[in-house]
Amino acid sequence: MIRLVGLYVLQAFLILGQGLSLAALLTGLWQGHTLLSQVYWLIGFIVCYLLRHGLTEVGNGWLDRYSSVAAQNFRQQLLKKVFELGPVIVQREGTGNMVTLALDGIKEVENYIQLIYSKVISMMIIPVLLLIACFWLDWISGVVMLLVYPLIVLFMIILGYAAKAKADRQFAAFQVLSNHFIDSLRGIDTLKYFGLSKRYSRSIYRSSEQFRKSTMSVIKVAMLSTFALDFFTTLAIAVLAVFLGLRLINGHLLLFPALAILILAPEYFLPIRNFASDYHATLNGRNSFHAVLKILNMPLPKKPVVKLHQWSDNDQLIFDDIKFTYPHEGSELANLNLTVKGYQKIGIIGMSGAGKTTLINLLSGFLAPTTGKINIQGQEVATLDINNWQKQILYIPQTPYIFADTLKNNIAFYTPDVSEDRIKEAIHVVGLDDLVAELPQGLLTMIGSGHRALSGGQAQRIALARAFLDPSRKVMIFDEPTAHLDIETELELKKRMIPLMENRLVFFATHRLHWMKQMDHILVLKNGKLIEQGTYQQLLDKQGYFVELMNQTKGKETAHG
Amino acid sequence: MDKIPLLKAMKHDRWVKPFLKRYKWTLVLAITLGIITFICASGLMFTAGYLISKSATMPFNILLVYVPIVLTRAFGIFRPVTNYFERLASHNWVFKMTSAFRKKLYDSLEQDAVFFNSKYRIGDILGLLSEDVAHIQNLYLRTIFPMLVAFGIYALIVIGMGIISPLMGLLMLILFGLIIIAIPVWSVLVNGARQQLEKQYTNTLYADLTDNVMGITDWVFAGRSADYLQHYNKSEHHLLASQKAMKRFEHWRDFVLQAMILLIVVSLIVWGAARFGGHWGGSANWIAAFVLCVFPLDEVLSSLPTAAQQTNVYADSLKRLNNLPQPAEPSKVNIEIAAPYTLKITDLHYRYPKTEKMVLRGINLDINPGEKVAILGRSGAGKSTLASLIRGDRTPTSGAVTLNEVPTDKFGDEISNYIGIVHQSPYLFNTTILNNIRLGSEDASEEQVWEVLDRVGLAPMIKRLPKELHTMVDEAGLRFSGGERHRLSLARILLKDAPIILLDEPTVGLDPLTEEKVIETFMEQLHGKTLIWITHHLQGIEMMDQVVFIENGQISMQGSPAELQETNQHYRMLKKADEGN
Repeated sequence: MIRLVGLYVLQAFLILGQGLSLAALLTGLWQGHTLLSQVYWLIGFIVCYLLRHGLTEVGNGWLDRYSSVAAQNFRQQLLKKVFELGPVIVQREGTGNMVTLALDGIKEVENYIQLIYSKVISMMIIPVLLLIACFWLDWISGVVMLLVYPLIVLFMIILGYAAKAKADRQFAAFQVLSNHFIDSLRGIDTLKYFGLSKRYSRSIYRSSEQFRKSTMSVIKVAMLSTFALDFFTTLAIAVLAVFLGLRLINGHLLLFPALAILILAPEYFLPIRNFASDYHATLNGRNSFHAVLKILNMPLPKKPVVKLHQWSDNDQLIFDDIKFTYPHEGSELANLNLTVKGYQKIGIIGMSGAGKTTLINLLSGFLAPTTGKINIQGQEVATLDINNWQKQILYIPQTPYIFADTLKNNIAFYTPDVSEDRIKEAIHVVGLDDLVAELPQGLLTMIGSGHRALSGGQAQRIALARAFLDPSRKVMIFDEPTAHLDIETELELKKRMIPLMENRLVFFATHRLHWMKQMDHILVLKNGKLIEQGTYQQLLDKQGYFVELMNQTKGKETAHG
Repeated sequence: MDKIPLLKAMKHDRWVKPFLKRYKWTLVLAITLGIITFICASGLMFTAGYLISKSATMPFNILLVYVPIVLTRAFGIFRPVTNYFERLASHNWVFKMTSAFRKKLYDSLEQDAVFFNSKYRIGDILGLLSEDVAHIQNLYLRTIFPMLVAFGIYALIVIGMGIISPLMGLLMLILFGLIIIAIPVWSVLVNGARQQLEKQYTNTLYADLTDNVMGITDWVFAGRSADYLQHYNKSEHHLLASQKAMKRFEHWRDFVLQAMILLIVVSLIVWGAARFGGHWGGSANWIAAFVLCVFPLDEVLSSLPTAAQQTNVYADSLKRLNNLPQPAEPSKVNIEIAAPYTLKITDLHYRYPKTEKMVLRGINLDINPGEKVAILGRSGAGKSTLASLIRGDRTPTSGAVTLNEVPTDKFGDEISNYIGIVHQSPYLFNTTILNNIRLGSEDASEEQVWEVLDRVGLAPMIKRLPKELHTMVDEAGLRFSGGERHRLSLARILLKDAPIILLDEPTVGLDPLTEEKVIETFMEQLHGKTLIWITHHLQGIEMMDQVVFIENGQISMQGSPAELQETNQHYRMLKKADEGN
C-alpha cells in the first residue's frame, strides 16, 4: 500500500501542476498575450490533467485487484470455517444469512477495503499538499481554507448525530411499516380466504404513505449533514473569491495566485466530499466485516483423537449420566444413561420438545454433552464429533436434502465412485424404478431446487439408496423420517427400510408408534428425560408413559372401547 | 435500440412510465431544482472567474464589481440550498410513487392470491418482488433523475453557447452529446452483456451455495467438505474473470470521459483566447469565467455512464413486474342464498391449464348441511385441487361444484361468507393478536374475541401476556407453537362464522398428542357446521360421518368409519398402522 500512498502524493503534485498551469495560462491570456505564446502552459495543463486522471484509474486498478484478492481469501476462509463448524452454525445463523454473508457481505467488505484505501488515504494526503501550496501562494487564503476544514467536520458530526438520534427514535415504527408490505403479501391468501384482500389494498397504500412521511422527516435531518458539507465548501469558495477580488482591487495581490487559489480550492474540498458521499457504504462494509470476523474467530470444537474401527457386532456405545443444556435456556436433556451394543435397533420416542432431536445431535456429534461421559468401543471421549465416527453414519432426516444435481449424483453422493450398475440396483431396491422411467433423461435428469421437484416419499427413497450403496457405513440415524408422509406411502417405505437396517446399528427417532415393534430397544423421552427404556414387550408390561402414549394416539373412541 | 435491455423492457411498460405522469409537478420541481443546482455551481465559478479577472484590472471603484460579488455570494448560497431541496423533492416523489407502486403490485398479486403459495413463494419470488420495488426506486433516483438533469443542462449549454457563437454551440452540441449520450450508451452496450453474464454467474453461485449450505450435513457426513470448497472456487473463477473485464473497461471509459471534458476545457480556452484575447482590462476578463465554469459539471457528467450501466440490472426487475397479471376490475356479484346449505359435486373433472393430465376424473359427492366428511388420499392424489374447486378458486374443466345450486366459482369474494378454510400453516400477520383474530370479523368487540379465544382454549395463555390481546404476535420472544397457531386460526374462523368449514390438512407436522387435542377442539367447536376435512392419515377419523378416499383422481372408497371398519380390509390395515399396532 506504500505504492498507493506514493501514487496519491504524485497525484497531488499533478493537481497542483494542472491548477497552476491553468492559472498561468489564463493570466497570460488576460494580460493580452496570444495563445501561441502561452502554448507551453497549455501543454503543461493538458499533460498534468491527463496524467492525473490516468493515475486515478491506475490506482483504481490496483485497488480492484487488491480488494478482490482480499475478498476471495476472506470468502474461502469463511466457507472453510462454516464447513468445519458444521450444521449447528447453519441452524443457528440460518442458511440465508450464511449465504448472504458469504456473497453479499464479503462483496460489501470488498467495497469497504476499496473505499477505505482510496478515499481515506487520498483525504489524508491531497488536501494537505494543496493547502501547503495555497499558503505559499497567499497565506491569508490558506488560513481561510485551513479554518473551514474543521468546521465542516464538526458540523457533519453534530448533524450526523442529530439525524441518527432521530432515526433511532423512529426505528421501531420504521421496522413495522417497512415489513408491513411484505407481510401483507405473504398473508395475501389468508386475506382472500376472509374476503378482505380487495379492501386491504387501500391499507397498503395508507401505510406506505405513512412510511413516506416518517421517512421524509428523518431524511430532512439526515440530509442536513450533506447540506452542511455542501454549504461550507461552496460558501468557502464564494467567500474566497470575493475576498481575493477585494484584495486584487487594492493591489495586495496579483492575478496568478488569486486564480490559482480559486482553481485549487474545489480540489482541496473534493476528497472530503467524496468520502462523505460514500460514508454509508463504508458503514455497511464495516458491519459485514465484523460479522465475518465473528464467525472466523469462533473456536472450533475440540475433536477427540481416537482410533475407531468399523462398527461391529460386539462394539459398545455407553452414555453415562449425559447432560446437555442449551446456552441461555433451561436443561434440555439430563440424566441420560444408555448402553448400545452391536447391531441393535434403537427406537427413540417422545412428543415434540421431548428432546429427540437433541439426542440425535449428540449421537451424530453435532452437539457436545455439557457433562457426563461417553464411552465408545472401550474409549472415553468427550463428544462424538469424531471423523471416524461420522464416516460410519448414515443420517436420514425428516426431509433428506436433495442437491440441485442429477439423480445419479444425488444417489451416489456418499459413494461418488460407485458403478452405474450398482446405482441401478439401488434404485430397484428402494423402489424408485417408476420415477426413473418417468424422467426424461433418466439417471441424468436434474432434480432438487429449481429443477424437477420430488415428493417427500421419493426424497426418502433417495436417502435409502444412499444407504444401500454404502454398506461400510454401519450406523443409521433416522430423525422422524416419515412425519410428513401419508400413511400409505409410509407403509410402503417401511417395507424398503427394514431390510436396510439389518447388520447396522440403528437409531430411529419418531412419534409414529407402529415402528416400535421392529425395534430391539426403545427409549422413551419426556420433557428432556429418558423416562422409560426397554423392549416393546417390557414397555407394554410396564403400563407406563409408553402405554399412555399408545392409548392417546389411538384416539378417543378406541381408547374408551 | 433493442440492444439496450432497459429500453426493451420499457416498450410495453406498465410500471415506470405511468408513474412519471402521475405526480407530474413534483417531478418537474425536482428536475428543475436539480438543474438549478448545477447552474449555481457553474455560475459560482463563472462569476468568481470574472470577478477576480475584473478586480485584477484594479477598477477605481468597488461598485464596478458589485454585481459579480453579489452573484458569487448568491450562487455560493443557492447551490447547497437547491441541492438540499432537490434531494428532498426527488425522494419525496419516489416515495409517493412507491406507495402507488406497492398498491399496484399488491393488486396484481391479489387476483391469484389463493395460489400464491404454489406460484410465488417458491424460491422466494416474493422477496424478489419487494426488492424490485427498491430497484425501481433506484432507477428513478440514480438514473432517470440525473439523466433528465443532465439533458436539461445540456440543452441550456448548447442554446446559451449557440447564442454567443453558433460554431461553439455546435461544438458543445457534439462534445457534450458524446459525454451525455454516446459514452453512456457505449457503456451499456459493452458492459451490458458482461453485466448480464455477471448476474447469471452470481445467481448460479447464490443458488449453488444455498443448495450446498442446506445440504451441509451430508457434506460433513460424507467427509467431502474439501471437495465442495474446491468446486466453489472453480465456479467463482468465471465470475471473477468477468468482473475483471468489466472493471478494466470502466477504468478506460472513465479516462476517456475525463479526456472529453479536457477537450471541452481546451476548446473553450482556444475559443476564449480568439474571441476575447488581446484586450487587457476589457473582454479578456471573460476568458477565465468561461473556462472555469466547466469544472463543476464534472460531478454530474462522470456519474452518467455508471448510472446508465446500472439500468441493465433494473431491466430484469422491470421485466418481472411487467409479466405480472394486470389488476382486474372488481366485479360485483350479488348472490343471495339462504340456509340450509348443500354442497353438491357432480361428475367433476379437472385438468390444470396447459397440462395434459386429468387430476380429477369424475368425482361425485353430496355434502349435506351439518355433515362431517373426511377426504383422504396420498399426496398428489388431488385432494388440495378438490379443496380449491370446492371453494370456487378454480373452475372445473367439466362437471360442477354447486352450493345451493349456484356454482361456487361464481361467488367471487362472497364465498368467504359461506366457506371458511383452515390450512396447513396458518399465517399470522405481524400485528397484534387482536387484529389477527379480527380478520374473521372486523367489527367484533373485544368481548367477542375473548369468547372465541376461550372456546379454542387460548384465553388463559393470552391472559398471561403483559399486553394481552394487544401483544404483537412476534414480540418479546413470543412464539406460537404449531398447535397454538392452529387454535388462533380456528378462533378467526369461529368469529367469521361461515356455515361450511374446509380443513386442508391442518395438522400436518404436529405430534400425535397435540394433533389429537387440536382435532378434538376443532370438532367440538365446529359442531353443527358442515365440515370437510382433508387429511392424509386416520387419526381422529371416528369423529366423522363420512370418509372418502381419493386415488388417481377418483373416489376409491367411501362410507362411514364404522362401515369401512367392518367391510374394508385396506381401511382396517391403514387404521391399524396409524394406531401403532
